[in-house]
Formats: sequence, C-alpha cells, structure tokens
Amino acid sequence: MTDSPPHRLRSHRPYALAVTAAASVLALTACGGHHASVTSTSSADAAAPAEVITYGHQQEPPCVHGGWIEQGYLSHQVLDALVSLGDDGTVEPWLATDWDVSDDDLTWTFHLREEPTFSDGTPVDAQAIVDNIDYWLEGGNSTARVWLEGYVQDATAVDDHTVEIALADPYPLLAENLTQPYFGIQSPTALATRSAEENCSAPIGSGPFTVTEWNRGTNILLDRRDDYDWAPATAASQGPARAQRIDWRFLADPTARTAALRAGELDAIYDVQAFEWTKLQDEGYETHLYNTPGRPQQISFNTTRAPFDDRRVRQAFALSLDREAVVESVGKGVIPYEGNGPVGKATDGYSQTAADRYSFDPDEANRLLDEAGWTQRATDGTRLKDGERLDVEFPYAGGRTINQDGAAIIQGLQQQAEAIGFEVTLIPFPPSEAAAGAYTGQDEYDLSIGYWTSINAGILHVIWQQEVGGEPNASNSAFFFDDDLEDLIRTANSTTDPDAQNALYRQAQEFIADEALSIGVYDRLSTLAASPRLHGLRQENSQGGPVFHDAYLED
Amino acid sequence: MTTPPAHAEAVAGIARSDRTGSSAASASRARRAAAALPPHVWVAGAGLAVFAVAAVSPGVLAPGDPGEIDLAATLSGPSLQHWFGTDELGRDLYTRVVHGTRDSLAVGLGAAAVSLILALALASLTLTGHAVAVVVDRIIEVLFAFPTLLLALLVVGMFGPSPTTLAVAVGIGSAPGYARMIRAQLHAAADSGYVEAATVLGHPRTRILMQHVLPNALRPLVGVFTMSIGQSIVWASSLAFLGLGVAPPSPEWGALLDAGRTYLTAAGWLVVVPGLVIVALSLSTTAVGAHLRDRLEGGR
Repeated sequence: MTDSPPHRLRSHRPYALAVTAAASVLALTACGGHHASVTSTSSADAAAPAEVITYGHQQEPPCVHGGWIEQGYLSHQVLDALVSLGDDGTVEPWLATDWDVSDDDLTWTFHLREEPTFSDGTPVDAQAIVDNIDYWLEGGNSTARVWLEGYVQDATAVDDHTVEIALADPYPLLAENLTQPYFGIQSPTALATRSAEENCSAPIGSGPFTVTEWNRGTNILLDRRDDYDWAPATAASQGPARAQRIDWRFLADPTARTAALRAGELDAIYDVQAFEWTKLQDEGYETHLYNTPGRPQQISFNTTRAPFDDRRVRQAFALSLDREAVVESVGKGVIPYEGNGPVGKATDGYSQTAADRYSFDPDEANRLLDEAGWTQRATDGTRLKDGERLDVEFPYAGGRTINQDGAAIIQGLQQQAEAIGFEVTLIPFPPSEAAAGAYTGQDEYDLSIGYWTSINAGILHVIWQQEVGGEPNASNSAFFFDDDLEDLIRTANSTTDPDAQNALYRQAQEFIADEALSIGVYDRLSTLAASPRLHGLRQENSQGGPVFHDAYLED
Repeated sequence: MTTPPAHAEAVAGIARSDRTGSSAASASRARRAAAALPPHVWVAGAGLAVFAVAAVSPGVLAPGDPGEIDLAATLSGPSLQHWFGTDELGRDLYTRVVHGTRDSLAVGLGAAAVSLILALALASLTLTGHAVAVVVDRIIEVLFAFPTLLLALLVVGMFGPSPTTLAVAVGIGSAPGYARMIRAQLHAAADSGYVEAATVLGHPRTRILMQHVLPNALRPLVGVFTMSIGQSIVWASSLAFLGLGVAPPSPEWGALLDAGRTYLTAAGWLVVVPGLVIVALSLSTTAVGAHLRDRLEGGR
C-alpha cells in the first residue's frame, strides 16, 4: 500500500546518511556475501526439491510481512487471512467460513474453520485472531492499523471458533478490507515467543508456503507445506500447493529481469516494462495485468508553502500538463492514464468528474498565473513575482515508488510545466533514502508523487483523516487538514447502502479536485509475464500480487 | 581506483629529470617534438577541440533544445533527422549528447583538479618531517584500501547528488592513488644528487623546495592530470549510471547511460552512443596526456 513508511513527519536525512554509511561499511566488511539463514534446515542443496518455480521480483522489502504492498505480495504466500476476495469482487470465506453483522451494524461475528493450523502447530482459533487484531492495532502492521483505528474497538473470542469485533462506528467495508494481504494471520505463539527479527524475516502463518531461507539481496526460498488443506474458494484446487518450492528472487533491473525470463532462468517476472509488453505476448509469454485500486500514481501539492499555497497556482500547474499524452506515449497503451488524484479508475465509487477536472489548457493556466501575480518572466522563461522565481521542487523515490517508465513520464510533465513558466527541479532519491522517510516533511517538497493501493475508496479516509494516533496524519501529503472533508469521508465509510456510499466518496473526490490538492497521473499496475511452461499462476484479487498455490511447471 | 594508473611506474621513473638543460636545447627539442607529433595525437587533439566547443557553446553544434520532447517520435533509431536517434520522450539524442558535454567535462576537470590538489597536499606533508610522514603515509594507505567508487558513494550519500558533489566525490575517491604517486616523485626529487648539491652549497630549504624539488616532481603531473580527466569522467559516469549522478533531465553522459539502459533491448543506441562518446573523450585525453608526459619527461 503505502509508498513510504507511515511515521514520516520529520526529516530523516541524518538517518538516510547513516544507512548509506552503514551500507558502505557492510559492503566492505561482508564481501563474502551475507547469508541470513532463517532456519538451520538440513542442507538446502541435498534436499533440493524437484519442482522449483523461479520468480523475479523487482523490490526487496525489509520484512516478509508489513504495511507495504511489496510485503503484502510476499506475506500472501505464507499467511492466510480471514477472508479472500473472489474473482467477481465478492468477499469469500477463507479462515472464516461465514460472518454476520448485528442490526446496529456495530458488531461483526466471524465463524472460523476448525482444521487450520499454523506451521508451528498452533491451532488457528478465535484467540489467535483476537491476538492478531490486537497486534495490528498496536502497530504490528502499520497499514492494518490505519484501516482499523477509529473503527475497531476490540475483538473477543466468544468460543474457540467464534470471534466478535466491536465497532465504534458502522464500517460496512470491514470484511472487504480484511481481504487485503496486510491482514494475514500470524501464529500467536510465534508473535509471543519469537524475536521481532524472526517474525520479520520468517513469519509463521497457516499459508500454503513457509519461509525456508532469506538470502538478503538475492532471494527468498518458500517451501510447500504438505498438510495445507484450506485454500480460499478462489483457488483452482484445494490441498497443498502444486510446486514444491518458490525461489523468489530480487532483481531490481527491469532489463535484467526480462532478459532472464527470455533466457529461461526465470519462470515468471514482475513489473514488465511497457515497451516489452506486446513483444513478450508475441513471443508466447503469458501476461497478467492488474490495475490496482486505491490511490493511483498521483501528484500532491504541498499546500503549506509558496507557490502552491495558492489554489490558482495549483490549478495552473494541473492545467499546464498534458498528462494523458505523456502517459500514452511512454506507457505504450499498457499504462493507463489516470486523471483522478484521490482514487484510480479500478476503485468502486470512482468519480469521472474529478478525473476530468483538469485537462490540458495552457491558456487558462497562463491566465490563472497572471491573476495570481506571477506576471513577469525571467530570461529563461520562468515566471517571476516580486523577483521570486516560480520554481518548485519535485522529489521522487526512483526505483521504489516510481519505476523507469514513471521516471520518464515525470520528465515529460516537467517539460510541459516549463512551457507555462514553472521551473521544476526533479530530485530523484534512492530506495535507501525512501525507506528512511526522506522528502516527506512540509519543508522538503512542493510536489510529491506516489500511490497508496487499497481495495476500495476507504483509502480516502487513510489519506485525508486529520490525525493518526493523536499526531497529524503523515500520509496527508498535501498537508491539507479539513473538518468538512474528513466528515464527508467518515460519513461515506459508515454508509451501508453501496450506492449512497459511493455517491459520498465521489463527492469527496470532487472536493479534492476542486481544491486542486492532488491530481492523477497514471494507474499503478501490477504486471506479470510468465513462461509458457508455467501454468496456474494468477493474481490475487484485492491487491494484485502473484499467487503460487496453483502454479506448476509443465512443458 | 584501487590500483595506480598504468602509467604510474613510468611517471615515477622520471624523478631523474634535470632542469638544468640549456634553453636552446629545450627549444630545439620542442621543435623536434612538434614536427614528430604522431597522427593519433593530432586526432585526439582535434577531438578535444570539438569537445571544448560543445562544452563552451553547445548551440553551435546542436542548435536545438536538449529537453524538447516530441511524443510523436519516441525511441526512433538514428536517421538523417535524428543522427543519434531519440529517447523514450522523443528527445534528440545528438542534441542531448552535445549539451551534456559541459556537465560531463566540468565533472571530469573538477574531479581531476580536486584529486590532484588533495594528493599534492597529502604528499607534501610527508616532506615536512619523519613523524608527520609516518602518519600521513598510513592515512594514504588506509584510504587507498577503499575502492574509489565506495569513497565516492559515501560522499554522494552525505551531500546528495549534484555535479559539484560528483566532482568532489570522484576527486576524493581517486586522490589516494595519486597521493602515493606524487609522494614517490617528491621523495625521489628530494633525495636526488642536485638537491644534495644545493644543500651542500647552503641554499635555504624553502628555496630548494621551490626551485628544485617541486618543479622536477610536478612537471610530469601535467600528463597525469590530463589523463585523469578521462578517468574521472568514467568514474562520474559510473556513479550517474548507478543513479547517483546529475538529476534528470540533465543530459550528462552518465545520466544518459543510466536512462538508456532501461531500453537496452529496444533502443540500443541510447546506451551505445553515450558510451562511445565517453570512450572517445577518455581516449583523447589519455593520448594527449601521454604525449605531454613523454615530452615533459625530457625528450624520450
């Protein structure tokens, strides 16, 4: 989900520096290759399974489980959830067989399957679920927390296989939210008795695979659990996974990933470059594309400082861009243009009005800037006001939030804005700095680009609520804190009639568009390309990660 | 760089230089050298002249705007209209390469200057006394143990990527190698017979240093400096290639390489052309530098 860690109010440059320094020292001292073997299993080579699916992914998260979508992709192989999202978008049973909601919409009761066990032997019972909910609310998973906080009051085990969740306000999307992989259930024994590091690198779940070994910087080995027999209804088959092992490799370079797929070294790859998409299809590779709902790749304006504290300047910037042309050109018809900043078009309750609010209109952009007082021009064409240049800083997390196609799109936008008189300074920063929370403070940027995937428009609440845990909401990248907007979104969140709910969500998107707080650029995609030898690979329905339970190799 | 440049031994071997040859002899030597200027040095010199024009006034060679996008002509191969082809936004690669010369050359020159000044300062310290020399020698050895790229990465990590940081980073990164070389030169000159003679004649130490040691030790550095420009550009490009160089959309050559590798299989020219340009510049500076070195060594 999030493109950067949630607690990111202050500048962390010194920390970023420390990370760089530490990385350098590590590189010096650990030349031999640092193996973080998670378990002391019998020699992996001796017991090398016959059927190994080798998969190339672009980013390596710090933990298998956590609040970032990259972690959700991994943890989904290892941790089961209460519920799962079906192919038709309905919530389907998984660890819970069924659930019901009280008449006042304030109590949810989940009934659990009886047979599932965690891979450490602990039964998946009601207390385990309660412990996990408590763990999320205490911040064990930052994304799980922001989705539940303010709604879930407490969870109790009514009996061994019944869990009751008490809410502060009606939350009709609760079950749907719980299908996201951030809500993977971990063994309470593991949570209570193992170190945070152990639960980070090899969490214990009830899923079809277990983490055998994590060679940091190289790969994670996931091995099949032979007694697994509780796959969700969306799975093609019940019983254990078909492949014995998944070799989940980390390859940051897209060219290298594609080349390795073509060479047969990888059976499937993630994040296919747009220009390779149809070529791979023509060569016989199977492609999968998932348009991730939630906040798309969007640009937020820092509303707390000049020049974007003036709504007219924000609107002028939006109007100066022909976003669709740049995205179409770089995206080669694979990456969809997205005009809507608050939510992408794959999200229920999407507002086309908000998406269409700012189409390319240089005349209007020029008029608004003149009206806002940016009337003079420097010799290089940049507009001036009282001698101040109309220059804006636009950092982006290259290689993390923004892939190569995204970086090209940003440069196209920069060029377009300059034609109207904006001087846009691009500041790409590396993943290590992004992980440390760089460029998230009020005094650190004018424009911020990023996504926050989610299953529904409830993401509006995550982004635009004013406080999280008593602190100003650090995810509000426009730094726009408004009672009316928050009330509108909270009302939508608690509206049980789907049509009425979506109408309110649309109203909130249009408010954000009118204020020009955030404008869309392109939808965040989850793409896969697979060798013709690989069968049964699919994408998970709530967030689009690869699902290997049904996958197998056959010539 | 972890190993001294290939020419280090040759340079170190010149400490026997004499500065006492008559001016007439030097003049005739210069004439002979000019007459015998080998063809590859002419070619290299001409190449450097073109690079100099591109750096000073790129508009002469490429009148277009290096940032201008043309979404109708993205990733098109080399043609009459676009000599070096276009990139993913339809920007003309020839224009970008020409306009990127200034940043690339500035980083190369800046890094070479930083590394030599640092190296000179460190090496000179070793002349001031035995105790200091021991300490400085150890410092040089420790720094020398670090790969150039790692030292440079550290500097970029501390100050963030920019052309200035890049020049300083590469300069600091390559300074230890040069410091060792210069130290050897200075000490060879200081231990030479003519310095011993000057000392016996009672000349003051500063005069000996300024008149005999430094000139004899430093003359060969002209060649080393020239050659290190090319080397520095290669290092700077490596950093830019790792995404730690000049921010896009700057057409600095390393940045062009980095951006182009994404499209390696579809638009190879985006990598090949900037790569060849970097090779051409470093070959030119190396050829000219080697020639200067040989001449200043005294008519070899």
